[in-house]
Amino acid sequence: MSDGEDVLKQYLAAERDPHREPRVRITGLMVQYYHVCKRELWFMSRGLDIDRETTNIQRGTHVDENSYDDRRRSYQINGRIQLDLLDSGDVMEVKVSSTLEKPARMQLLYYLWYLDEILDIQKDGVLAYPKERKRETVELDSDARTEVEITIRGIINTVERDTPPELKKKPYCDACLYQDICWV
Amino acid sequence: MPKDNHHVFADGELSRNEGTLRIDTLDGETKYLPVESIDTLYLHGQIDFNTRALGLLNDHGVPVHVFGWNDYYRGTYLPKREQVSGNTVVEQVRAYDDHDRRLEIAHDIIAASIHNMRANVQYYDGRKEDFESAVDRLENQYARVENTTNVEELRGVEATARKIYYRCFDRILRDPFELTKREYNPPTNEANALVSFLNSMVYTTCVSAIRKTALDPTIGYVHEPGERRFTLSLDIADVFKPILADRVLFRLVNRQQIGIDDFEQELDGCLLTEDGRLAVLEAYEETLDRTVEHPRLNRKVSYKTLVRTDVYSLKKHVLTGEPYRPTERWW
Ligand code: SF4
Repeated sequence: MSDGEDVLKQYLAAERDPHREPRVRITGLMVQYYHVCKRELWFMSRGLDIDRETTNIQRGTHVDENSYDDRRRSYQINGRIQLDLLDSGDVMEVKVSSTLEKPARMQLLYYLWYLDEILDIQKDGVLAYPKERKRETVELDSDARTEVEITIRGIINTVERDTPPELKKKPYCDACLYQDICWV
Repeated sequence: MPKDNHHVFADGELSRNEGTLRIDTLDGETKYLPVESIDTLYLHGQIDFNTRALGLLNDHGVPVHVFGWNDYYRGTYLPKREQVSGNTVVEQVRAYDDHDRRLEIAHDIIAASIHNMRANVQYYDGRKEDFESAVDRLENQYARVENTTNVEELRGVEATARKIYYRCFDRILRDPFELTKREYNPPTNEANALVSFLNSMVYTTCVSAIRKTALDPTIGYVHEPGERRFTLSLDIADVFKPILADRVLFRLVNRQQIGIDDFEQELDGCLLTEDGRLAVLEAYEETLDRTVEHPRLNRKVSYKTLVRTDVYSLKKHVLTGEPYRPTERWW
């Protein structure tokens, strides 16, 4: 058994057991950060705080709740994931813009994977960009499953490092909360 | 938007009026200050305040620096931080306790400090006087930093550099201002009074910046903890004195924005008058707001922000081991 599989097995076992805590509690935000910038993920997992006043742009994690008229309910599951369920039964994730498509899709896939693997609930997802009047369906097929599992191993490896991943310029840096700590 | 510092000159009373600060001056005026708009509060007059006023300042994370009349800087009321990070403080202390790590940080601070002194002298070299030899000698001290093997020796290098540097002041400053010898407690002449006042402003600027991070202000790397003041602020202030205090001093004196009549000789030394202090503070605040294009951040930052990013850089260093880059004037 390779190391990577080991990490994933341990994670699954701990999450399935109500009396255990995984070494790393993976949230939807962490999945996003992993695909945006691993360094940001590391900083965030260490609780590195920076003075919010100085940051020029704040990430739009919350889009105007009224921008959608679908009826949906919010659920918060095991303190890890916070998802919206549509009347149709699909899991919906709302994003400000489709520029960071992959991170948003991976976050949603992680929710679907979590529901399936840990809670034995099978769902499909909808990724919605109200500002762009766009939505797309997301399914947890076997490729997606593999991608989620690679992501989980990656997240655990990243946050358990002693030092942050190396600094590299990304288009996202200028909008990042950690910009001032990263580049000074 | 970064908030502004607020300076109160009057004598009187500071109290709390619901969510607002209220100042009743001795000459019968009442002023209200929205606490959310204040970065740091400076009290320059004789002000009484009660715990309710302090409570409000504490809730909004506003530090208060108190300047008395005779002994310029009296002290700081530091609100408690909303976010404390045990991890940060542990790493900060570890870095202090590890001889090599402490020395490395101290090297960086003193090198930046000497670099910034040299930049000032270089600026006036040829413009006012010939400072070639002073620049050379500062260069030598800068080079010596790398080879010092303990913090005490390093402080010696910095003291020598500062002596060379201060000796240039008499020739930079328009007559009749002269420093001759740097004296404090109390300052004996006008230039000394200005340097002392401006240096304490730089110090308080650093205290306020450190307050915004989870770093402990009492644990510094160049200065020994246990001194009366916040030693980490003393460390960071060394980097910024040439940038923030000395340039303001040269400008004020050479453009005659301040003159000998802005001072009064008291029994215990030479002090700025209230008008004098106002002129200095105005120039100082204006300098804090100046901006430069930052080479690594993709934007212009104010000098005030530079103090803050310096502290971030140090914090990042103690937490991750990535290089600490105290501000060395690049512009
Ligand atoms: S500033 Fe750039 S490199 Fe640093 S954490 Fe943010 S996105 Fe990553």
